[in-house]
Amino acid sequence: MRQFLSEADIEQIDETGRRILTTVGIRILDKQMLDRLRASGAQVEPADGRARLPDGWIDRQLASAPDRFTLFSRDGQNDLDLGSGQVYFGNGGRAFQILDLATGGFRPTMLRDVANTAALVEQLSHIRFYIIACQAYDLAPDAYHLNDFFHALLHTNKHVMGGVDNLEGARQMVELAEDVAGGNAPLRQRPFVSVMTNPISPLTVDGESIKILEFLTSRGIPVTFAPAPISGATAPATLAGTLAQLHAEALAGAALVQFMSPGTPVMYGSVPMTMDLRTMDLAVGSVETAMLNTCCVALAHRYRLPIYASAGLTDAKQPDIQAGFEKGVSNLLLGRAGADFVHLAAGMLDSGNSISYEQYVIDDEIIGMVERLLRGVTINAETLALECIERVGPGGNYVTEEHTVEHMFSEFFYPKLAVREQYDRWVGRGAPTPLIRAQSVVDEILDEHAHRLDPAAVKGLRSRFPRIVDV
Amino acid sequence: MDFTALSETIIKGNMDGAVKETQKALDAGSDPQQILDQGLIAAMDVVGEKFSQGTMFVPQMLRSAKTMQACVALLKPQFQAGTVSSKGKIIMGTVKGDLHDIGKNLVAMMLEGAGFTIVDLGVDVAPEAFVKAVADEAPQILGMSALLSTTMPSMKATIEALKQAGHRDKVKIMIGGAPVTSQFAKEIGADRYAPDAGSAVSEAKGVLAAG
Repeated sequence: MRQFLSEADIEQIDETGRRILTTVGIRILDKQMLDRLRASGAQVEPADGRARLPDGWIDRQLASAPDRFTLFSRDGQNDLDLGSGQVYFGNGGRAFQILDLATGGFRPTMLRDVANTAALVEQLSHIRFYIIACQAYDLAPDAYHLNDFFHALLHTNKHVMGGVDNLEGARQMVELAEDVAGGNAPLRQRPFVSVMTNPISPLTVDGESIKILEFLTSRGIPVTFAPAPISGATAPATLAGTLAQLHAEALAGAALVQFMSPGTPVMYGSVPMTMDLRTMDLAVGSVETAMLNTCCVALAHRYRLPIYASAGLTDAKQPDIQAGFEKGVSNLLLGRAGADFVHLAAGMLDSGNSISYEQYVIDDEIIGMVERLLRGVTINAETLALECIERVGPGGNYVTEEHTVEHMFSEFFYPKLAVREQYDRWVGRGAPTPLIRAQSVVDEILDEHAHRLDPAAVKGLRSRFPRIVDV
Repeated sequence: MDFTALSETIIKGNMDGAVKETQKALDAGSDPQQILDQGLIAAMDVVGEKFSQGTMFVPQMLRSAKTMQACVALLKPQFQAGTVSSKGKIIMGTVKGDLHDIGKNLVAMMLEGAGFTIVDLGVDVAPEAFVKAVADEAPQILGMSALLSTTMPSMKATIEALKQAGHRDKVKIMIGGAPVTSQFAKEIGADRYAPDAGSAVSEAKGVLAAG
């Protein structure tokens, strides 16, 4: 595939990003961290609260960042081997409303939506990891992350990632995960939870994020520190300028993590977005958002860091044509670019503000197509099928050949939602659309889904964590 | 006699295994008609069911049908002339001007697997040839196939020719093929329409059940 960026282009962006770190610096709203940075060789101006991070400092920190590590699933069925070249797609989080197909409108998200989306991800085979999908408006703030992580772990064995609001939330989450794992050592060895944090673009890191990251890295939890600049608003309106700034922020983030705790598994974080400057509406389904994300993969891989990238976003308000084409384009681009960990790729609508159960099922199918495409075309004597072609000869058919049965399962992706059947047969079945089929898949999954923690373990957790609530 | 092992080989499309099992049953003195009904056709019923549930694909279904045919060939000499019972006789062909026969062949294979006797007239069959075959063979069903939209009018011409020759009422007409729709079948006065090989079997069974 023709890449957007040549080697020389990537070099220019990288150089500019490093220049930004040296001359502009990062504003860090944590005095202790600034003092430690100064002691380590960064240039810190107390007057403006910025740390200017010279090339040597960045390289020294990044030297300890692993170029390959695993985000584990609890049952070993969906371990994510980041840095291996494999692409993994997952859902996205922090939505605050959900599409209610019965009314056609949105309602605020609740804790049960965390549980249900975790159950959907557990059962949908192409969605490889689970991100805490939404805010739970029925949860009290004091035991918030204890509960959203508990209900995620209760419903899926896949790797669970989430954001945390504050240090207390991070503690709750880690204590719960250590309890489930049987202690810090086993969790550190096979981390099945991870956390994303975000600097504030442009070029600002708040004090709470520093505290959260210090705590998490001290406990061996994999993290990403992912800038989310918006072209034309919190980053320059040019794609190149947005990339240069994001690169500075992402490199600083990964380097800070290594500075706190060398060797911590960290992903180069990137969540670039654009705006529609006609109205200042967010445009996360834009082709430029997809292009920015694609370029970031090259920047991260230049540093041999696995990337926390995004794709599959849409600005559409319901699972419709726009949702389909916006998601299709960006998932395909990020997959082809070799992005290691692609979040936001399932379940989201409405510029990332909203989720939809049905959209999870639809996105699973889109990702399934992309995964098939990434497997490529297998060329060998068996697949070239010369012997089979000789046997069938002119005018014959391949339908009844053994060769066909042997290869038909692995060679083709079989969608569950796409309408392919002959018109009369489709009409005979009531002319179901992909959305209608997705609804019945949702019902099936949620009806049949069983907990992924055994009852004895749940009982133990509830007694040790009395603030766990039911959905 | 238990035909489970034979049925399993048919369902799996294991031709060598199925032929061996059939021979074993014959050697053990089983009634050929019982082998056919309880071993082979019963297995194909399971195959049809799995297909309609989506757990079996068309190539697997056809592999089973092919396997069954090999077993039937082994049984045939065991039947005295006229004693083998058939579900019914079906004449088939692609219509005049159409040389595309893969679909027709697959449908024939499935129908044979379901226990029907097939008289295959081949490709590019003129209306007169269909009329003659109906007169000579006295089938319950006449099946016509077309892949090209340009040859679809031949279906109507064949039905007209049957009317003219006074044979229309003696046979049920079933049509299919990529461009053929249920609407078209109604318009030209066909009795049944089958969009695929699987429904061809159920439509054919429906014709005979209706008498």
